[in-house]
Amino acid sequence: MTATAPPSPSARTPDLRAIVTRRRTTELGLLVLVAIVVVSAYALASLGRNASLPANIGPFLGVILGLILVAHLVVRRWAGAADPLLLPLVALLNGIGFVFIARLDEQLAALQATWTGVGIAAFVVTLLVVRDIRVLQRYRYTFGLIGVVLLLLPLLPVFGRNINGARIWVAFGPVSFQPGEFAKIALAIFFAGYLVERREVLGVATFKVGPINTPDPRQFGPILAAWAVSLLVVIFERDLGSALLFFLLFVVVLWVATGRAAYLAAGGVLFGLGAVASWAFFSHVQQRVSIWINPWADPQGSGYQIIQGAYALAWGGTTGVGPGLGIVGRIPFDETDFIIAIIGEELGLLGTTAVLVTFLLIAGSGLRIARSAGATFGTLLAVGLTALIAFQAFIIMAGVTRLLPLTGVTLPFISYGGSSLVANYVLIALLLRISDQSVRRSPDPLAAL
Amino acid sequence: MKKQIAFLGAAILICYTALFVKFNQVQVFEADSLNNRTDNTRSLQRDFNEPRGSIITADGVVAAYSEERRAALRYQRIYPEAQLLAGVTGYFSFSLGSNGVERSYNDELAGRTTALKLRQLTGLFSDASNAGDVVLSVRRDVQATARDALGDREGAVVALDPRTGAIIALWSSPSFDPNALSSNDTEAAANYKKFIDAVPQKPLLNRAYQDNFFPGSTFKVVTGSAGLISGTVTPAVPDYPVVTSYTPPLTRQAISNFDGTPCGGTLFVILARSCNSSFAQMASEQLGPDPMISTAEAYGFNDRPPIDLPDPARSLYPTDFGKVVERPPGRAPVYEDTPRLAQTAIGQNDVRATPLQMALVAAGVANRGSIMVPHVMSEIRSRDGDVVDEYDPDEWRRATSPEIAETMRQAMLGVVSDGSARNMAIPGLDVGAKTGTAQLGTTPPRSHGWMIAFAGPPGRPPEIAVAVLVENLTGASSDTGGANAGPVAKAVIQTALGAG
Repeated sequence: MTATAPPSPSARTPDLRAIVTRRRTTELGLLVLVAIVVVSAYALASLGRNASLPANIGPFLGVILGLILVAHLVVRRWAGAADPLLLPLVALLNGIGFVFIARLDEQLAALQATWTGVGIAAFVVTLLVVRDIRVLQRYRYTFGLIGVVLLLLPLLPVFGRNINGARIWVAFGPVSFQPGEFAKIALAIFFAGYLVERREVLGVATFKVGPINTPDPRQFGPILAAWAVSLLVVIFERDLGSALLFFLLFVVVLWVATGRAAYLAAGGVLFGLGAVASWAFFSHVQQRVSIWINPWADPQGSGYQIIQGAYALAWGGTTGVGPGLGIVGRIPFDETDFIIAIIGEELGLLGTTAVLVTFLLIAGSGLRIARSAGATFGTLLAVGLTALIAFQAFIIMAGVTRLLPLTGVTLPFISYGGSSLVANYVLIALLLRISDQSVRRSPDPLAAL
Repeated sequence: MKKQIAFLGAAILICYTALFVKFNQVQVFEADSLNNRTDNTRSLQRDFNEPRGSIITADGVVAAYSEERRAALRYQRIYPEAQLLAGVTGYFSFSLGSNGVERSYNDELAGRTTALKLRQLTGLFSDASNAGDVVLSVRRDVQATARDALGDREGAVVALDPRTGAIIALWSSPSFDPNALSSNDTEAAANYKKFIDAVPQKPLLNRAYQDNFFPGSTFKVVTGSAGLISGTVTPAVPDYPVVTSYTPPLTRQAISNFDGTPCGGTLFVILARSCNSSFAQMASEQLGPDPMISTAEAYGFNDRPPIDLPDPARSLYPTDFGKVVERPPGRAPVYEDTPRLAQTAIGQNDVRATPLQMALVAAGVANRGSIMVPHVMSEIRSRDGDVVDEYDPDEWRRATSPEIAETMRQAMLGVVSDGSARNMAIPGLDVGAKTGTAQLGTTPPRSHGWMIAFAGPPGRPPEIAVAVLVENLTGASSDTGGANAGPVAKAVIQTALGAG
């Protein structure tokens, strides 16, 4: 009757369909580009090393395209409106990481290929199972419990394994994994869910300390608990990187949830106290710090790894010596913690900058998803997951370049390691789910992009 | 929450910017200093896994080449001439570093100079290596003569072309085996290093240019030049008194002539007979410190010769003789250290010279007062034999005017025709020389024996300048130096010029 009637719900469908088509086309195009880059890099690295094309280049191309296609089709079918950049960006990191692992160790590369398959499978399963992100919110305490259990699992006498000085492994028969990689996702879910519930209370400044309004001191309980758990990890698992990451995750999410900078300040103070105390009481922490200050005090011993890492980066210079042409076999853990040094050697500053930019783009996509998520839980979870990936990459690269003391964590998607790869694919799947859901649920999908 | 998310984005951006700055620091700004750290063996490992050019003598003998091995290090350096050319080629060791031409021409041998890289660009997809061969000016035959003539005595021989500075022989005895030091078996190399370091004569120190000695009477060529430059000495005047010794002012310690024989006369005579008394008197009474210092430095003392080999030693001449204490009329002022000045005039006291420096003194006299930059490289060739680079001779020092050099040349010819170096005469060649016996002590008498010389076809510019040092001789009489070092110098000249 009248032309001014509000748009019926069905009118949104064409908009949504256009968005899905546009986003998935963008994603497919970028994925094809990624495949070209990765396969070329793989061929170049092999040419550099043996002056011949790899024998398995055909099957390799097939597997890469197959995995990418599966991931893409699943997203298209079950999360069609999701952000189009994330999957190509992580595929690029995963692919480049694989090229460098294959260049270092063929056997590890075969394992990493398997883990990539498992990772994509976990990605698919996550998208299929978590059809509505709010389901996770309902199980927040379960996830919290799972997170703490996973985190402390390596401390169990029978299953826990001490590998390379850190007790972060768990072995069940032949299968061993790092539960901490999964714990961080569970904890991110828990924090987001918990803070959705409590943010009002935590955000009100009802308590006065002199001229400053702060929240009721009793509300600092949770942050103290997170701090205590992190310290436990430092003390008993000797895993400084993960401890830092958990604490950072909690403080950031708490701050975003409440909007109160007091929590950042409190977090900073607690971090400082924890850091000084750890340094004072634990020799492994002291050693990390003295290596950081002057690795050349013991160039053949404790400083060896970081010095060799710096030499590899310097050897690469601006443009790198070329894929497959570096001098490898000198850096301990060059396939995991120090893989960025190998990338810097063979691809130069251009390569390391490309990696930095890729992580920045992932962080940007993640934060954009957080901003446009309709529900608070989605926002906080997206913030947590994004912070995890951005800060984990920062912590390890800062350690390798001696910007910060070195703490061994993996470089997400690039380093060799099954637990890390699978967990990070789950993380990306959750981000895509939040993204897809916020677009679909928005009254104006175009505005929600 | 949007505000916090924006802040978080900014914080992440700041973190990554800091990382970017740090990557720039490590990979660009500090890259060179990191690459050059001594405990960083990356460039070395690369050098051992790529073909490396050969080192070839001027007479076409391969002094060093790389042999491919099926081992962790793909190339093993081989020195077919072993000890003979070790002092020139140096060694190229994975565990012990490198020395000699292997070090100073590493970029050329490894193919890393622009000229060699440009050549390879033209054949971008060819397999050709861009390593370069270094062709030396050193001749294997002259080097072998030097070795054979010196025998197992400690000492050194330097022979060079005064017209270009090209070194023809550079022998230091005892030598070492570069094959053993360069062994890719690092344990064997370390054992040999330990052994060679324990040898008291220090074979790894090239005494031809990396160590300095009292030059003794060969330094009188410099003192004589200073006299001529100052204008107070000419071939005709003064006529120094024939005495057995000279006592400088401010001391009672006399400077005696060898064996206490009376000695004196005009410049040519006192050089030919090597009169200590006369040259001491010349420095203390006619010259004073300033002409002595400036002439010694004009010949290259107190400076490192810019030779294309690592770590050349400085030759030394004192630069401080204290304050003026007396100004006698018609004579040079007397300084606090005038007694010391008198001793330096005959190459004793605090004068030190490398054999290379003394060869350059002879070369300067032979080449009209001009000392050319000494060098062992004559050209760089690509592996297919094209000359990529040639050594471009250049003057290092203008020691004296051509006229004064000509006078000194005549004086040195006189030393051979009618003086202490008669044993240097070679039929068919004009030979000029100066002997030296640098006293090391009197009980028992010991000395370093020296001979510096130049030679060439009669009436033509000299084609070779030589310095020979024989260390730690027993005895210190006037002909100790000439009798020991002379035959070595003569043999080297004969081989080099193909005469006699």
